[in-house]
Amino acid sequence: MTFVRTIQQTVAATIVVGVVACDSAPTPGLARGEEVFDTCAPCHGTDGAGNYELLAPAIAGLPAWYITSQLEKYQNGQRGSSPFDTVGIRMKSMSLALDVDGDLESVAEYVSGLPGIDAPASLHDGDANAGQQAYALCAACHGANGEGNEALNAPPLMGQYDWYLMRQLKKFKTGSRGSATGDIGGAIMRPNAMTMDDATMANVVAYIEAMQ
Amino acid sequence: MGDFILQRASSYAGDIDNLILLITVLVGVWFFLVEGMFFYLLWKFRAKDGQKGQYITGKEKHLKRWINIPHGIVLACDVVIIVFAINVWYNVKQSLPDAESTIRVIGQQWAWIFQQPGADNTLDTDDDIFTTDDLYVSNETTYHFHLVSRDVIHDFSVPVFRLKQDAIPGRSITGWFRPTQTGTFDVQCAEMCGIGHGVMSGRIHVQTAAEHSAWVAANSPAAGE
Repeated sequence: MTFVRTIQQTVAATIVVGVVACDSAPTPGLARGEEVFDTCAPCHGTDGAGNYELLAPAIAGLPAWYITSQLEKYQNGQRGSSPFDTVGIRMKSMSLALDVDGDLESVAEYVSGLPGIDAPASLHDGDANAGQQAYALCAACHGANGEGNEALNAPPLMGQYDWYLMRQLKKFKTGSRGSATGDIGGAIMRPNAMTMDDATMANVVAYIEAMQ
Repeated sequence: MGDFILQRASSYAGDIDNLILLITVLVGVWFFLVEGMFFYLLWKFRAKDGQKGQYITGKEKHLKRWINIPHGIVLACDVVIIVFAINVWYNVKQSLPDAESTIRVIGQQWAWIFQQPGADNTLDTDDDIFTTDDLYVSNETTYHFHLVSRDVIHDFSVPVFRLKQDAIPGRSITGWFRPTQTGTFDVQCAEMCGIGHGVMSGRIHVQTAAEHSAWVAANSPAAGE
């Protein structure tokens, strides 16, 4: 009988511990961010350096406010909802995996702490000198050195791949990014991208790349 | 019975449920018969004091009957199942009733993209309507769908329609459905397609003809832009 009682008590204790463990929400912070980053790493890499094969941009070292704002946009459908934004749709689905309170901020904190990368140039058809002039339009929000501006929700452009910048400019122009209702930042960016033809985009991207 | 477990909302959902019910009954009856006989024999011929076990070759006619007769009946049941299954398979997968409208369903990691005709009711024209994860269709209307994939294998599954079809990269697979109930129902991916497979869900909104016409008019690019 004693043996049976011991087994019963052990099972009951295990269930109680299990329920308590399942019930307790993880503590937000860097450690949790690192844990949550396992969801991002398959595409963005364990160092957040991105992966061209998957068209995943570099995210290492991006400011936490920008990462949080973009994840929120993905989650509420302001980004990644256009049927023509194939890569954005993929990211939107992944953002939905961050469904625990505080996870968004935790992973943003972790990613922003990763060392930024030197993104090598891969596009060579732009003229950086010509791009400098066109960049004046971008500098108003993104800064003269592409350092970004939190007050304007404009991300830094440094440390980002040229192929990614090019794709985003084209997305803004066609409306597969920035045209969703409520995407204020996108609504500001779109008209600017619409003023550029492909050659101007290539020049601007070449200039940003040359600044790195 | 299938309707009690999960609502039916397409013209062929009942046929598929009835087929599954037929298989369940035929296989279930045999399951309980065989298990019942098995345990009965175990109990009847259990070890008894002073009685030795016998070696039975099973070659005698009266013993072979126990195998041959059920075998024949099971084969007959198989034939019944196959006849009904082929009939349902032909109606659902092989025949293609005339379409009143045609749509394209595009699977990608990890969302469903739907392309459907605008006011001209012709696919691949300028007024086509594209939506992500939400498909709007008209009730009591026969649709053809062209199912494609942008990347890996997916599976377009609408449980209330009892519709389930693989989407294969490089192929366009044509199928059909005819909604029979208005409402909003789940669309899911039923083929493991990567890390986001679990969140690859959508919705199909079955509307009345009037509601659907209004939706098309409001969302057709030619009308709205």
